[in-house]
Order: sequence, then structure tokens, then C-alpha cells
Amino acid sequence: MSVRDILSSENELTHMLGAQQAIVLSTRIRLARNLNDHPFPGWAKAAQRAKVTELCLGALNPMPKFRRAHEVRMEALPELERAALVERHLVSKELSGGKGGAALVSRDQTVSVMINEEDHLRVQVVKGGWHLRAAWHIAEQLDDALSSALPLAYSDRLGFLTACPTNVGTGLRASAMLHLPGLCLAGHMDKVARALGQDGLAVRGWLGEGSDAAGNVFQISNQQTLGLSEDTILRHLSGWVRNVVEQEENARLRLIESEGEKFLDRIARAFGTLRHARLLTSGESMANLSLLRLACDVGMLPEARRATVDRLMIEGQPAHVQLRAGTELDTEARDARRATTTRDTLADFPEPSAPKLS
Amino acid sequence: MGKTVPCSVCGATATVHLTQIVQGQITKVHLCEGCAEKGGAGDPAVFQLAGVLSQTDIPPTLACSACGMNDADFRKKGRLGCPACWTALLPALEPLLGKIQCGVHHLGRSPSGVTYSPEQAKMRLEAARREMDEAVQSEDYESAARLRDLIRNLEGQIA
Repeated sequence: MSVRDILSSENELTHMLGAQQAIVLSTRIRLARNLNDHPFPGWAKAAQRAKVTELCLGALNPMPKFRRAHEVRMEALPELERAALVERHLVSKELSGGKGGAALVSRDQTVSVMINEEDHLRVQVVKGGWHLRAAWHIAEQLDDALSSALPLAYSDRLGFLTACPTNVGTGLRASAMLHLPGLCLAGHMDKVARALGQDGLAVRGWLGEGSDAAGNVFQISNQQTLGLSEDTILRHLSGWVRNVVEQEENARLRLIESEGEKFLDRIARAFGTLRHARLLTSGESMANLSLLRLACDVGMLPEARRATVDRLMIEGQPAHVQLRAGTELDTEARDARRATTTRDTLADFPEPSAPKLS
Repeated sequence: MGKTVPCSVCGATATVHLTQIVQGQITKVHLCEGCAEKGGAGDPAVFQLAGVLSQTDIPPTLACSACGMNDADFRKKGRLGCPACWTALLPALEPLLGKIQCGVHHLGRSPSGVTYSPEQAKMRLEAARREMDEAVQSEDYESAARLRDLIRNLEGQIA
């Protein structure tokens, strides 16, 4: 099973299968787990990492959730394919660049397990839209199956033992990916990020740690993992996500009301750029697609077009563009390809109309 | 020109200054441009660990017999060597946990089959009761029902 099959098959995020959501793009649960009596990947020798890979794959493969799953070994993949998996959030940058990393991705791409990232096992559950409890439920079942199949490193006092003290305890990182153009345009995003930071939540860009907020997309996640139950962590995140979604809705309403014709002009210009540009950098493309997505949310474009905009955001990332072209491309050639795909895809889009306020 | 502050990691002049407040506790980290870029100033883990990573000149006093990592290695790498390090290096880790986490006792789930010691069960029971009150107050009845079951289970374990 090749990486191309993973990238080309439909899943909740690229095709929004039954998971239409205006502001929350996706919900994610990550659990860090390790095997007892084995050094952590960053301190282990190659042979020890290989042993862990075999043990973990041996335990995971027979699980019903991983029937006909995609199994990928990072070192066997060309750089472009590794980068595309990172762009899809199926593996992390750390796993893709590290030694002895492997991943198992369920057929429907809802569940993936990274082996030999910072910890032996990183279980990840992703749902399109805002479905925190549903994602948690899947993670919980998988965790039970894991702990009956493998001797996990656990202490009664400190919980699940991890390589980094920032993950010990529950090993849980719960997050939501939010599209916040209203708060960004209104200039309120810094204030929101500060408030979240002061209440134990981390705000990051589209590609996680260290990335910028391309396309006004932000990831919000819990920072503390010890001294809190999973329930508390989930409720804390949930409360804030609801709060931020409400602030975003209000910011959008205020923008539309106060800007009037200027707002329509913003959207129309973004549409014009995407429809006619011959060269599109990834930053420019994300910024304009974000406005188009907003237009779908507020009735300026048919809502059904939002999934197409989302797909352009994902497929316009550098490694995706090159994989589609079947070859490595320099920046200008990439920008040209991205522009062509965008023009073709938007060719049958109607012109944006005035916003419909509900 | 204002006063220059040394980078918390390498000692060069810091140009990136970060402040984080967790439960009312203020932590400040100063980074030079190079270290900020290398670690990613937006990465909370780097941020949280920068204070520890800065103490790289302290000689080791603890070592893990299972994997050979000592506390100086940990201060340098910011990551532990193996699960047994959590016992061997604990005295060096506890002050850090106090700063970056919400406590030093696990209150979450356990691998199936592991039962709690009476002391652990009691602590979890107290936490669960607090959480149930909060859940009821915020009208989150789904969580409240789940917590009620957990409380019954824990009460059974203690009795």
C-alpha cells in the first residue's frame, strides 16, 4: 500500500464525509504510551528501536480497527511522500525526519499510530468537525486494547511514563483545529491567544509546533497532562472551544455589519486572485482560500462549495503539489502548478453575492 | 539602549522574551534568535523546559541503572532515557513537574487490570467528587453521570 493510495483515498477531512463544520475543522486526540523495559526512542540504539517497531506492529496489526490498514516505514519512503504525510497531519515532522519511525494508518484514516516518535507509541484519533467525545471514545477503546496487548510503562503515582515530562500522566493531548478569519480580520486573535495561554491551553498554527497560522487556521490544545483527569482536560478544552467559536461568530457578524460593501470587496478580490493568478505562493493561496471559506460560511457562496475550498487548502501544500506533478519542482514551478489547479477547480464557482445574515 | 538579558539556553544576548502564566505562577524565558528558531518559540514544550535546559553546567548526581542516563544528560536533552528514569531521576524531575504540570499525582485512567492502592483510590475519589460538583454546576450531565459511576467504582475499591 503506497502513500499515494493514502493521499488519494477519500476521508473525513478531505471530503468532509458527513462532518460539515463551519468553524471547527477537526478534533484530535493524541495519547502517548511507552513499553516497559525499553529505552525511549531518542535514547535507544537502532536495534532497540527496530525491536520496539516489531513488538508494536505485532500487537496493533491484529486489532479490528487496523484491518487493511496502511503500514508505512519512514526510512523506506522518498522525502516528498514523507512530507505529504506530515502535511496531512498523519505523521509528525519529528517522526518523518527521525530514525526507525513507522506508522500504521487505519483504512478510513481516523486512527493513526506513530511508532518510535518521541515515545514508543503515539495514538492519534482525528474526526472532521467538532466531535471531542466521539474521538475520545475511540482513543479510550484503543488504549484498552493496547494495554492488554503490550506491557505499558505506567506508575501508580505518575501515570503513563513518557520521554518528556510535558506528557507524563494521562499522555493526553486533546485539540481542535479552528478557522478564525473573523477574529484575525478584527485584530483580536492576539488577545484570544493570550487568554488561552494564560488558562493552560496552547495555540499553534496549521501544522502544529513552530508553524505559523497560514489561512487563519489555529490549533488549540491542552498543555498539562498530570494532576488532571482526562475528563477535566476534555471539559476545559471543550469550554474554551465553545467560547472561541462564539467569539468568532460575533466577530464575523460585526465585520459584515460594519464593513458592508468593503467586506464584499475583500471576498471578491480574494476570489478574483484565485480565479486568475498565474503564480500563487502557498501563503497567498491560504490567505485567499480562507476568505473564500468564510464566504461559504456566511452565504456569499453556496455552502456546499466549502469542501472544495478545504480540499484546495490541503492539496495546495508544497509536497502535495509536487507529488501530484510526479516530480520535484522549484518554488516558481510549484506556484504555477498551484495556480493552475486552483483556476481549474474554481472555474465553475459562482460569483460571491452579498452576505446573508442569519 | 536597554539592559540586555542572556539567553536562557546558550547565554548569548536574548531577543525573544516569553512569559507564561500557569495557575497564577509566572515563568519567564529569554531566548536568543538562534535558540528561539531552533527550538521554535511557539513550542510550549521547549518553553516549559528551557529553564531546565539552561542548567547544563551542573554535574550529575543521579543515574538510571537501567539505561545509563544521568540527570546532567536529562538537563541537556530535555528527554528521559527509559521508563525506569522516572524512578532513578525523580528527585531532579519533581521540582520541574511542580512548575509545568497541574500537580505531581496522576488522576487519569490506568491500563486495564491495574488496580489502585487504597491511598491512590482515595485521592482519585476526592478529585472525582470535586469534578462531579463542577460538572453538575455547569449542567454537563453527561460528564456527571460518568463521574457518578467512577465514584461508585472507587468507593467499592476502598471499602
